[in-house]
Parts: sequence; structure tokens; C-alpha cells
Amino acid sequence: MTSFRDVELLSAYLDGQLSPPDSARLKSRLSSDANLRAAMDNVRAARGLLRQLPQRRAPRNFTLTPKMAGIKPPEPRAYPTLRFATALATLLFIATFAINGLAPAATSSFAAAPAPALGMGGGGAESVQGQAPVATEAPMRPFAAMSPTEVTPSADQAITPTESPSTKSLVPELSNGAPARVRNEAPVPIVWQIGLAIIAILFGAAAWLIRRASENKFRKQWK
Amino acid sequence: MDEPALITSAQHGDLDAFNTLVLNYQDVLFNTALRILSDSELAADATQDAFLSAFRSINSYRGGSFKAWLMRTVTNACYDELRRRKRRPTTPLEPDTSNGDEMDSPRWLADKSMSPEQKLEADELEHAIQHCLDALPTNFRTVVVLADIQGLDYSEVAGATRVPLGTIKSRLARARLRLRECLQGFGELLPASFRLDNEPQ
Repeated sequence: MTSFRDVELLSAYLDGQLSPPDSARLKSRLSSDANLRAAMDNVRAARGLLRQLPQRRAPRNFTLTPKMAGIKPPEPRAYPTLRFATALATLLFIATFAINGLAPAATSSFAAAPAPALGMGGGGAESVQGQAPVATEAPMRPFAAMSPTEVTPSADQAITPTESPSTKSLVPELSNGAPARVRNEAPVPIVWQIGLAIIAILFGAAAWLIRRASENKFRKQWK
Repeated sequence: MDEPALITSAQHGDLDAFNTLVLNYQDVLFNTALRILSDSELAADATQDAFLSAFRSINSYRGGSFKAWLMRTVTNACYDELRRRKRRPTTPLEPDTSNGDEMDSPRWLADKSMSPEQKLEADELEHAIQHCLDALPTNFRTVVVLADIQGLDYSEVAGATRVPLGTIKSRLARARLRLRECLQGFGELLPASFRLDNEPQ
């Protein structure tokens, strides 16, 4: 009868894992114990069978691709700068629309105010009389919100009672001159907007092209 | 390029160097996974996972046996696969025929260098050994596969399985004992040189 402890010793002995004193002791027991020798033969046979198992060839190569390994193509050196320039130009381009869009609202108060100034420009106390109706009827609506056709009749009606020559001469200036001046004076000229759009497109295209070239080079390297 | 240089390059992110190591060790890792999992496709998946995991954590390799370090990754991948398998229906070792019967000699076991008789004998013996390996608890099977099939020494097995050396000795002895008992049931298949005695315990 062989104990598990003996099997453990025999197993370690066959693998050369026993200390020299343990090994000597076991050798001495093996020379006198037939059961122990038979147990060792069985363990050796089982061990030998396992070592006889054929090694299979791998069914395929297990090499890693950059994608599997999570390796990304190197970023071109100029790419971050171009990307930043593109983003900045785009933001500025959008900002110009916001600034120009807000400008009419800001100028509406300015547009209402010129009436007295224009009246004064017409000269003398007479013009001040003629100015009053214009200031009472027109000021509630911003010039920018009015079409020229709206402005002209209201101005005509307003000045009709006084028939002042100085206010008559003011009418074309109010109906045509003032609104036109407001429209032409956008805070950001359209030339700037076009320039920013061109910069954004050119830098964006350049960033995309150098990135794509870098990716293609990386792919070719791993094909 | 020698192995330490390849490992150093791989640690610096050189995928080519790592793939050279993969080619050197893929058969060993695949065979280890195959003996632990008993399924060629699952073994291939575990091997791939092991190499991927090894690449990601190669900076944690601090010297010693690289083979043992790789064995730890494949052993972990096999344990993950076995845990997944517990949650899924299992498939038999042999593929079924069109009649639903199991094939005795699956194609993946074929070896063209042998005669049909030798091949049949080898296939049956291998089948018997794999059957007995499958009957072992996973921890015992892993130890016996690493020590007896892959030839790792006790300290390497201990490193690969993160189990104390004394436990390795004990598990290996128990595994061999159980294998011997199991293989006795296949006595007729065993070659004469390895015929096991029916020694009473």
C-alpha cells in the first residue's frame, strides 16, 4: 500500500525536485520496497505518456496587427497647429456673423437719435418746429426695421403741416441716406469674413491631407 | 535578434519585435491552451487573447523565464474561457457527423506522417489522455499541462500559476495519480512500454 505522501515524494523524485537527504532516503526505501518501486513505475509511466503527447502546430499565426494592439498612426508634426488654426478661423468666422447680426439692434438707438441732429443741421428755429412731428411719430420704430417705402410716407406726413423748406430738404436724407449708411457700416467687413472662410478651408484641407498621407504610409508599412 | 533584445524592443512598443516573439511561442501557447480547454477553436481564441494581453502588459515583465511569463497569460486566458464556458452550453471534443454521431478521428488530430493504423492508435491514445486530462480539476490540469506537457520546472509552474511551490508538488502528484487511475481504463490502448501495472493502492 502506497500512501499519497509517498506518491508525492516519488513524483518530486522523478522530477529531480527532492533535496539530497530526502532523495537518499527514498532511494534506500526503493531498494527494499517492491510496492514503492511499482508505484514509482506507474507514476513514471503516467508522466511519460503525457510527455509523449504530440505538439500541435498552431492553426494560424497569432501575430498582432497595429489595430489589435491599439497602435495609431503617428500624428504629423504640423497637424496640431493646422487643426488649431482651422478651429480658430472657423470660430472667428462664425463670430463675425454674430457681431454683424447684433449690429442693427445696437445701431437702432443711434438711428433714432440723429433726427434732432439732422434738424439742427437744417438750420434755425424753423427746422426745430418741423422736427417735432418726426420725433413723435417715428422714434418708436427703429430705422433699420423700416423699409424705405415705410419711412418716406411717414416722414412726408409728419412734415406736411409745417411745409418748411428746411424739413423738405431733410426728407430724402432721412428716407434714403440714413438707413443706407447704417447698412453699409457692418462692424466686420465682408472681406474679412471671406478671408477667414478661406483660411479655415485651406488649413482644414491641409490638416486632412497630411493626416491621410501619414495614415497611408502607416498602412503600407504593415501590409 | 536574441530574445532579451526582442523583449526590450517590444517593451518600447516595437510591434515587429513582439510579433517575432509571437512566432517563436505561438505553438507552445496554443498547445497549452488546447490541453487545458480541449477545444481547438477556443484554444486559438485563448492564445490570441493571451498574446494581446502579453503585449499590453509586457512592461510588467521583470526578467526571468519569458516562457513562464507567457504561460501565465495563456493560463489566465484559459481560465477566463472556462468561466465563460460555464455560462454557455458546452460543445463536445469531437465534431459530430451528419448522423449526429461523434467522429472518432477528428481532422485536427490527423498526422500525415503515420500509417492509418499508427494514426488510429495515436489518435485513440491521445484521445484517452485528453479524456483523462479533462476529468481533472482545472487547477490540477493546468499544473500537469505546464509541467509534464510543456516541460516547465516547478518554479516556473509556480510563477505561471502564482501558486506556492509546495502546492505545485502536491497538485502534480495528485494529478499524476488520478491520471494513472484514469488511464488504467484504457489499458489496451497504451503502448507496451507504457503499460501501467494494476498496482493496488
